[in-house]
Amino acid sequence: MTTATFDLAADVPKRSSAAGIAVVLLLPIALVNAIGFILPVLNLARMSFNEALPGGGIAETLTAANWTGLLQDRFYLDLIVNSVAVSLGITLATLLASYPIALYLHRASGAWRTFLTVLVISPLLTSAVVRTYGWIALLAEQGPVANVIAAMGFQPPRMMFNTTGVVIGLTEILMPYMILSLMAGFGRLDPKVEEAARTLGATPFRTFWRVILPLTLPGIALGCLLCFVLAISSFITPKLMGGGRVFLLATEIYDQAIVTLNWPLAATLSMLVLIIFGAALAVYSRVLRMIDQG
Amino acid sequence: MMHQTIKGSGVAAVKDPYLCLEGINKKYGLIEVISNLNLEVRKGELIALLGPSGCGKTTTLRMIAGLITPTAGRIAVGGRDVTRIAPHGRDMGLVFQSYALFPHMTVARNVAFGLEMRGLSRAEIGAKVTRALGMVQLEHLAGRKPRELSGGQQQRVALARALVIEPSILLLDEPLSNLDAKLRDEMRTQIRDIQQQLGITTVFVTHDQVEALSMCDRIVVMKGGLIEQVGTPHEIYEHPATPFVASFVGRTNRIKGVRNADGSIGIGSSLIRSASSVKPGDVMVMVRPHRIRIDWSGTERQGETANRIAASLSRITFVGDVIQYHFDVDGSEFIVEESTIKSQAGHHPGKQAVLSWAVEDTFVFGADQ
Repeated sequence: MTTATFDLAADVPKRSSAAGIAVVLLLPIALVNAIGFILPVLNLARMSFNEALPGGGIAETLTAANWTGLLQDRFYLDLIVNSVAVSLGITLATLLASYPIALYLHRASGAWRTFLTVLVISPLLTSAVVRTYGWIALLAEQGPVANVIAAMGFQPPRMMFNTTGVVIGLTEILMPYMILSLMAGFGRLDPKVEEAARTLGATPFRTFWRVILPLTLPGIALGCLLCFVLAISSFITPKLMGGGRVFLLATEIYDQAIVTLNWPLAATLSMLVLIIFGAALAVYSRVLRMIDQG
Repeated sequence: MMHQTIKGSGVAAVKDPYLCLEGINKKYGLIEVISNLNLEVRKGELIALLGPSGCGKTTTLRMIAGLITPTAGRIAVGGRDVTRIAPHGRDMGLVFQSYALFPHMTVARNVAFGLEMRGLSRAEIGAKVTRALGMVQLEHLAGRKPRELSGGQQQRVALARALVIEPSILLLDEPLSNLDAKLRDEMRTQIRDIQQQLGITTVFVTHDQVEALSMCDRIVVMKGGLIEQVGTPHEIYEHPATPFVASFVGRTNRIKGVRNADGSIGIGSSLIRSASSVKPGDVMVMVRPHRIRIDWSGTERQGETANRIAASLSRITFVGDVIQYHFDVDGSEFIVEESTIKSQAGHHPGKQAVLSWAVEDTFVFGADQ
């Protein structure tokens, strides 16, 4: 702008050109998404209605056999229920472990807060594979955790190559995401409001239950959505820590696609995961609406 | 700086005190924010803690509420030592500057909160909430959420929420500073009326001298963690104990002078008198701008009781209801305020005049104060 005065007529083309620039700037990412995400998903959706041929072939016929077969097969129904249940359990464990940390971080200030935040995020700098191997070393039959439990006079439980191991590993791996989401959702939590509750006669416990918890629900909802989605789609940790004995959707998709070479079935299972994502999102937006009104 | 706890003539100790602060001290690390604070408040009294930001007034209020524990000292309410009691056991109603309403609850639920914590029955709570909301004229908004209310309405809800529990002491932390000027005047009257009606002991923190002067029974002027003066609004305004009180409460001219051995005070080449007793040497003379009269002809003789000083007009500022004349007296600036009238005679910079004011309106403080 060279002059301070401008009339409406001059403003209109300027605004439409701003919109034009926005379109131009958004085009690359839209293209990348269309080619890299939407097209493959559509392709997967189509493939889930194709017929698998022995030896890894795909018949270009249109059939709903994969879907009907899936929903009639006891093994797959159990797999779906089990995957959702384990992911929900991991989400809950992550929430319980992360909430106090996030609350403390929210209340911290200055350099101490920055330092702690970096500390919370730092595990993300290490690949999940490395962290999973770390957990394998810790939780192995003769590992430090088992030794400590044995030293206290208890029989150490099996913590590796079963669901317990997968839950422990994924909980730790997902904690940074949960903590960051919780903190992002703690915006409404004003320390003055807690003080108001205290002066009105609320004990610390009742202050938490009646004021802090309700005000942090948006953060809880966001963190749970994110961690559930990450848990149900995680592959490396269940694969390594489950030792082939824990069957979850992601590991089964891998087995069908790479081991059995039944791509149509793998595609069907993948679409199923997407449907579960959609359901999780629907629940999330429903919960947010309830928080907003309630 | 004189570091006395009470510098002023006011009374910090009263008969039958209800709220007592004894030797209160608060340190954050090495920084002392409150030093040996002693204060007694009568039952039913509205007392203001007045001072600039950082003077320790809010810290004092938060210590009374139990949100901060004093490093040393004792706080008692009605003879009961509450120094170590958690805020939820203290039975105090606190109103925050930022309102601090529970955003997820309706107005009625906000007001009901304190009663629910006390385990009252549903019927009792309903009746008390209705009465409290009636007191602040907000019954019609009981079902609304705080975010749907204006700032003034939110502050009234906060007041109702603090009052409904019938607290032993009502604590107000700058309750009016987030409101616009007109609303602030209304709320001032409303708070004072409710306080008088309920006869509730109230501590009011403010940095606004007008609020303190117009609403409160007594004022505690604080600066740098110390009490400068305690007294009624009249005492504080007419008999400021320190130069800080004189300039913080009301407006005042500050002129450098010299006190002579005979008790007269020299300003430039003129001599004035004062009722204040200070040591000979450099002094600070303070006179309120509206207590000075201007004699444009320079001939009018006043009684022996008045101070008279020749001055030359340097600047005029028109503020609407008052007009400010800036005078030069041998390099010192005197500001004189007069109420405006429509047919005001025009004066021009450079004009000579004689300024006069009563001897008792002359505050003199030692230069070291």
